[in-house]
Amino acid sequence: MENAIEVKELTKFYGSLLAVDRVNFTVKSKEIFGLLGPNGAGKTTTIRMICGMLRPTSGTAVIAGFDVSQKPLEVKRRIGLVPDISNLFGELSARVNLEFMGKLYRLDKKTRRERIDQVLELFQLKERQNDLVKYYSKGMHRRLTVAAALLHQPEILIMDEPTSGLDAQTARLVREILISLNKEGRTILLTTHQIEEADKLAQRVGIIDLGKLIALDTPEQIKNSTQGMRALEIKILNGEDQQKWLPILRQAEGVDNASLAEGKIRILSKDLSQMIPTVVNLVDKHGGRIENISVAQPTLEDAFINLTGKSIREEPVSKEDYLKRRLPRSGMR
Amino acid sequence: MKTFKPWTSVMHSIYIAENDLRQSFKSVRHVVWSLLFPIFMMFTFSFRYSTTGGTDIEYIKNILVPGIVGMTAMFGSTNETMSIVWDKSMGVFDRILAAPVSSTSIIVGKTMAGAVMGVISAIVLLIIGTTIFNVAFANIGAVLLIILLASFSFTGIGTIISGLASEPREAMMLSNLLRFPMMLLGGVFFPISAMPMPLPYIARALPLTYATEALGAIQTGYPYTVFFDAIVLLIYTIGTILFGSQILMRIMTR
Repeated sequence: MENAIEVKELTKFYGSLLAVDRVNFTVKSKEIFGLLGPNGAGKTTTIRMICGMLRPTSGTAVIAGFDVSQKPLEVKRRIGLVPDISNLFGELSARVNLEFMGKLYRLDKKTRRERIDQVLELFQLKERQNDLVKYYSKGMHRRLTVAAALLHQPEILIMDEPTSGLDAQTARLVREILISLNKEGRTILLTTHQIEEADKLAQRVGIIDLGKLIALDTPEQIKNSTQGMRALEIKILNGEDQQKWLPILRQAEGVDNASLAEGKIRILSKDLSQMIPTVVNLVDKHGGRIENISVAQPTLEDAFINLTGKSIREEPVSKEDYLKRRLPRSGMR
Repeated sequence: MKTFKPWTSVMHSIYIAENDLRQSFKSVRHVVWSLLFPIFMMFTFSFRYSTTGGTDIEYIKNILVPGIVGMTAMFGSTNETMSIVWDKSMGVFDRILAAPVSSTSIIVGKTMAGAVMGVISAIVLLIIGTTIFNVAFANIGAVLLIILLASFSFTGIGTIISGLASEPREAMMLSNLLRFPMMLLGGVFFPISAMPMPLPYIARALPLTYATEALGAIQTGYPYTVFFDAIVLLIYTIGTILFGSQILMRIMTR
């Protein structure tokens, strides 16, 4: 099968709120596909529809050759879902949680026992397998959630923000496991709001914003959409938050976009030589002093800003964006 | 065409019920607290003296113990079924929804867990009541049948509450809105015949009334009353479970 997932015109309304707007994409077999977007962009809703947990308002999703609206159970048998929150039974031990999941997937007793031992070993949870899950750390919760999704050895793994909120070490472990699972031949669809994660892991990336898929390509090709642009990173010293400089700098001639990244202001421009003096003068005029200035290559984050007009790190959904997605009842499809 | 595998569906329901009950019994404190309330009520109301002097053993045997047993089934079943609301709020319900389990299996599993919890709680109170007050039930088979029917009908009420409530606090308020009037008007502490008008009419609309009346009638030897009440409980069971399932099904297939 060439395509593991085929999503066509997938749309979801919550009342009058348009959460997912005619999304189309395919995930090739044995591919890692990243769905990148800020919080509230519609990633989780898309995933829930693909997994048969939410009925689309319109459109179709075909997973492993089965239309999820027609054959939800066939789809669920073939996918492993890692939700964005770790949803395990806190009053039960890790082993009992996995036993329950194994039973729901109708694994026989021997296979169940073997697979549980395997995943506990893989995720370094064997030592604490009999402890109640409610006493687990966040990282252990997450590892167990991924382990539970792998128990029935699904051909397609769907991961919603797999490393969200994890410490660097655990996040790295999860990413390593994800890559090795892909090498074993599993298709992986992951959602993330972390640009670096999508850049490092995904072979192709779909950028979703306000429920719409606005770009779909390899990370390299998406970065190429910023071709001709350069990035300038500056840090302004004036004893105040860097945030207040963003609207000022966005007004400057030659500045395509300005955003905050790791405590610095990142400015995108097609004409750096003209833009640098303009920016320096503008900062000076507003009583600021530049502490640090450097030129950088555009990243996937810059491409995201270029496509959406905002940083992925900014607050999820503004009131304006929310109202844009709310249609009058008569406009509902 | 959907392929329906009855055995798989049955096993899924059993696993879901087993998992729910395992969690409930895992917490000893939870079990103890849930039983302390009916035990406390039973002892409090047992201090009623008969007109001829001494404890009113007829009241304890025919009204109080049957009433408390019915009431315990109600609390046990509804509490267990309402775990759906907690599951929804903690996201663990999604874990079951993401697995290849039919909606019917989930509802049947949750219903089974609720009914089993109701029956077990009621039997514990039955043993405590009959042992402490030294009263025996005339027909234990009939008692168990009524407890089972009552537990299923209360489970149906639990599923309705779980479907309607969006979060645990709302579920608690809704359940108390239904359970406390039922406890006071359902013939647990006072016989319906002793209630002023129009309370007996209200009592006749409550399933607990039929459970306590049937259990009392087993003691006093009115088989027709037991039969009639059992039929009413069966109707209640079918009605509430069907209605509750409809609401839950809507949530699961949004």
